[in-house]
Amino acid sequence: MAYYDFVFDKIGLREWCDAGKSADGPVSMADLLARAGVEQETSALNVPFPSLDELHKACGSIAQSRDVTKGVETGFLAIKDVLRFVLDPLTQPLSWILNSALSGIEATPWWIMLPILALVVYFASRSARLVVFVMSCLMFLAFVDHYDYAMQTLAIIFVCAALCVLLGVPIGIAMSRSDRLQRMIIPVLDMLQTLPPFVYLIPLIFLFSITEPKLYGIAIILYAIVPVIRLTNLGIRLVDKDVIEAADSFGMTDRQKLFGVQIPLALPNIMAGVNQTIMMSLAMVVIASLVSAPGLGVLVLRGIRNLELGVGLVAGFGVVLLAIVLDRVTKAALDRVNSAQPR
Amino acid sequence: MTNDIKVSIKNLYKIFGSDPVMALEHVKNGTSKTDLLSQHNHVLGLQDINIDIRSGAITVIMGLSGSGKSTLIRHLNRLIEPTAGQIDVDGDNVLAYDEAQLRNLRRQVMSMVFQKFALLPHRTVAQNAGTMLKVRGVGKREYMAEAEKWLNRVGLEGFGERYPHQLSGGMQQRVGIARALTSNSPIMLMDEAFSALDPLIRTDMQDLLLELQQELLKTIVFITHDLDEALKLADHLVILKDGFIVQQGEPQHILLNPNDPYIEDFVSDINRARVLRIRSIMAPLEHGVVPTGTHGEVQFDDTLESVIALSDGDTSQTFVVVQNQQPVGTLTMKDLVKALVPRVASQAGARKY
Repeated sequence: MAYYDFVFDKIGLREWCDAGKSADGPVSMADLLARAGVEQETSALNVPFPSLDELHKACGSIAQSRDVTKGVETGFLAIKDVLRFVLDPLTQPLSWILNSALSGIEATPWWIMLPILALVVYFASRSARLVVFVMSCLMFLAFVDHYDYAMQTLAIIFVCAALCVLLGVPIGIAMSRSDRLQRMIIPVLDMLQTLPPFVYLIPLIFLFSITEPKLYGIAIILYAIVPVIRLTNLGIRLVDKDVIEAADSFGMTDRQKLFGVQIPLALPNIMAGVNQTIMMSLAMVVIASLVSAPGLGVLVLRGIRNLELGVGLVAGFGVVLLAIVLDRVTKAALDRVNSAQPR
Repeated sequence: MTNDIKVSIKNLYKIFGSDPVMALEHVKNGTSKTDLLSQHNHVLGLQDINIDIRSGAITVIMGLSGSGKSTLIRHLNRLIEPTAGQIDVDGDNVLAYDEAQLRNLRRQVMSMVFQKFALLPHRTVAQNAGTMLKVRGVGKREYMAEAEKWLNRVGLEGFGERYPHQLSGGMQQRVGIARALTSNSPIMLMDEAFSALDPLIRTDMQDLLLELQQELLKTIVFITHDLDEALKLADHLVILKDGFIVQQGEPQHILLNPNDPYIEDFVSDINRARVLRIRSIMAPLEHGVVPTGTHGEVQFDDTLESVIALSDGDTSQTFVVVQNQQPVGTLTMKDLVKALVPRVASQAGARKY
């Protein structure tokens, strides 16, 4: 006898309930106890919450909670093939880009790669001190034989962050121009930002083959694209109304206004978004090693799986170094943009 | 200065709210601004504005904050759309313009100077000055040369490579003026252009504007809340209050014949000796005879202050007024002293304190 029996008796659904009762369902602990003759006390103190499982006990026609998760699963599996048919060709270029970036970085010898990176850092920051700092970080990683892993991680971050900017800035611009679009997109961004990173991976594993780079590429992009969209939208909305009015009074077209006024004035905010995006891709690239993303994350994962403390800690320290390097370089670039237009 | 009408504003109304057309009916039937707000929840911005803006002259629109002056100037280039009325520029109704024509108007015909300068912080001073030419699609070399020329003209030689934030407020507004001049458009709209500057710089800028105007003869619409500034600059003065025109005309005329207590109050605080000109109060020559026994000659366009200085305070003196070396009238110190005292408002003003 279940607690909520009386409800169904009272409203006359008993017959409908019994019709749904299957005799050979899984047996629960409570059933066993009942069969053994152990009577559970029923008092006001332990009234069960009318959850699906509890109601199911009273009425066989009501679904159990595990049916809900099962329903979600079958639902997803049902649309999987269609989704895959659409998404697979669309996202295929991502696999190509990631593959070529990874093989490109592997094929380039370290004595070419490091100077190239030094130049990139110098052009982003115009600071020789930062170049020295970045180079010593990378050389330390190479010295402890983590160079290849670090470069793979960097390559994935570059590709994903670049794609985030490429996709995120236009979305942010579109959002800044339409309040309706903003209202529609903000909940999506909130969801992307709060969903635990592992959760992205689950449906993706079902959709794509686990050996494909785009699997982790998509996970990283979905996770990291949020700040660049948000801050582009915000930055453009924050552009001084007086300057916009002036631009209108000069007869600027929307295009001239966008590229001549709005984007340049929103640039500090957009760059702050890019910085955040890069940092978040780095966070995700470690987790993405669960789905075969190469790089330092693989070593961290090995450390966890095989309880190789030293391997995990050194690789983790390598991730920290990369994070510091990426953050310093993007911050330095941001400062340069800011000093060009103080507020 | 010519008398051609460059811009003509006719029966212009602007009502802010959800259903301005409905509200317009009420206004035309005599509902007041306060009633419109309390009963229909619409704000009456501008009410039956009629102004003829003459070519080559400075038309000053003056009013306190909330009087609708900034709204009015934004109607001229349609940054704000009117509820009803007509605005003719060179005889063309601007309100009938489509987007391309409107853009052309803003690019070629009107330039605007803003209270908060509204310079682009990421471009150099010279690039800012050339903005309007750049927008038109003029090549960089060409617009930079033009920008440099006008920057020199407003006293900013050698600042072209700096960024706006490196300049003081007064200098930034000079860039704003250079930007408007570089566009070479015949009409300049100046929205409280000098209000954000401190008084000494403001005087400098007013002098600069007058000096440029003597040479360039632009059609300038100048918005201000400062009566001294209005009187100094205006060829034609329009006084706005709560969205309607209280009085408009030649500033000296308004000063001597205020037709409304509001304006009398306004003008009572003015240093009249510095603002009034001899031409406004002199007596014309009778039958062209120059009287004898006068105490000297004064210029037609001089201020009364200069005559007081000349007379050394002797109120019995009489002067001959000269224009282009020709005597055109006489001025007695008695008339001058009378003109210095506002007719009505001084007493009203005195009672208040």
